[in-house]
Amino acid sequence: MSSIEALFGSRTAEILAAAVTPVLAAEVRARCERTGYTRYGLLDRGSYEVIADPDEPELLAALANLAGERIDRTLELTGARVLRLQPGDYLLAHHDQIHVDLPIEVVLDLSPAIVPGAEVHYRRRGQVFFRVPSTPCSLAIVERGPTVSCNHTYVSKLHAGASVVRLIALFRG
Amino acid sequence: MWQLEPAWQADVLARAWRAAQPFPHLVVDDFASARDLEDLLAILDEEPVERYEGDIFAFDATAPEPTTSDLRAVREQFARVLAPALTQVTGKPVARADMRAYAYRPGHYLLPHSDHQEGLARVLAYAYYLPSPEPPVGGELELYCCEHDGSAITSVAGACLIEPRPNRLVVFDVSDVSLHQVREVLDGLRLSLAGWFYPAEPAAEQPR
Repeated sequence: MSSIEALFGSRTAEILAAAVTPVLAAEVRARCERTGYTRYGLLDRGSYEVIADPDEPELLAALANLAGERIDRTLELTGARVLRLQPGDYLLAHHDQIHVDLPIEVVLDLSPAIVPGAEVHYRRRGQVFFRVPSTPCSLAIVERGPTVSCNHTYVSKLHAGASVVRLIALFRG
Repeated sequence: MWQLEPAWQADVLARAWRAAQPFPHLVVDDFASARDLEDLLAILDEEPVERYEGDIFAFDATAPEPTTSDLRAVREQFARVLAPALTQVTGKPVARADMRAYAYRPGHYLLPHSDHQEGLARVLAYAYYLPSPEPPVGGELELYCCEHDGSAITSVAGACLIEPRPNRLVVFDVSDVSLHQVREVLDGLRLSLAGWFYPAEPAAEQPR
């Protein structure tokens, strides 16, 4: 686990390793594949595939409990999506939605394997304050806010066949 | 350094600028003489580079302001020679330019963006490709065709690929729709000078 609480008071930004099993991650990936991704192609903002509102109620409830225990709050799901990034894909910070309140965002890494350099960067006033490296089965828990934005870094074409799959859920409570 | 003749033919270039798709741009090959290129490379050898990384880019580059007087002189002469010629060719009045040297190594990229930012007054963008000891694989400049609603881009399609050939100068228009990228370098080393041309500085207000 890494934490920046010491630097930013009560702000939450931490990573839990092995939050789900590789078997569960593979099952979710397979269900997503069957659901089908939609490609986003406005390249000045991002290039990726997405499933909005994935039908994963049990997993999302478990993530709400897990994140809620970490921050000692009861959390309710307010939105979720699955992103898949392949070599050449990215999601830029100015494409991210800014939240005026302080919701909790979790990023569950469902990727089949580590993809070097494929990270999620959380930025406060543009400066990266929290990096989520490619670590399959890990869960990042981050408090969002009016000054926090997020980008998914470019996936290098040097990693042919790489696939980054992330379940991103937003909770309030 | 930066003699325009014989590569620069203003009337031909003006027609090319107007006809270029998906937005106005120029490609001028064999831009500098062999001797000038040799002098330029010697000057660049003295300029330190650092790694720069953001959500849309990863590359090595010199600082925004050159550290050596020689590179500052190269930049000033580049602007002095090119600005009037580009004003004539493009119909856009420009007077000064900035300049940085870039080194794209494997895994480096510059993702699609327009260069247009309120308040920065960028009028024209340029890139001048340098000879490389290891010619790059990838690193092409890609220009996109965009449809837009107001200032928001609503669809994007790749329209033009420009190879980073040594001694090639590329100039393109800066606007809301001048979407372009530098494709990821997959091997070798892509070396360039690049920056923007700007209008003349507004004259300082005189006391009344």
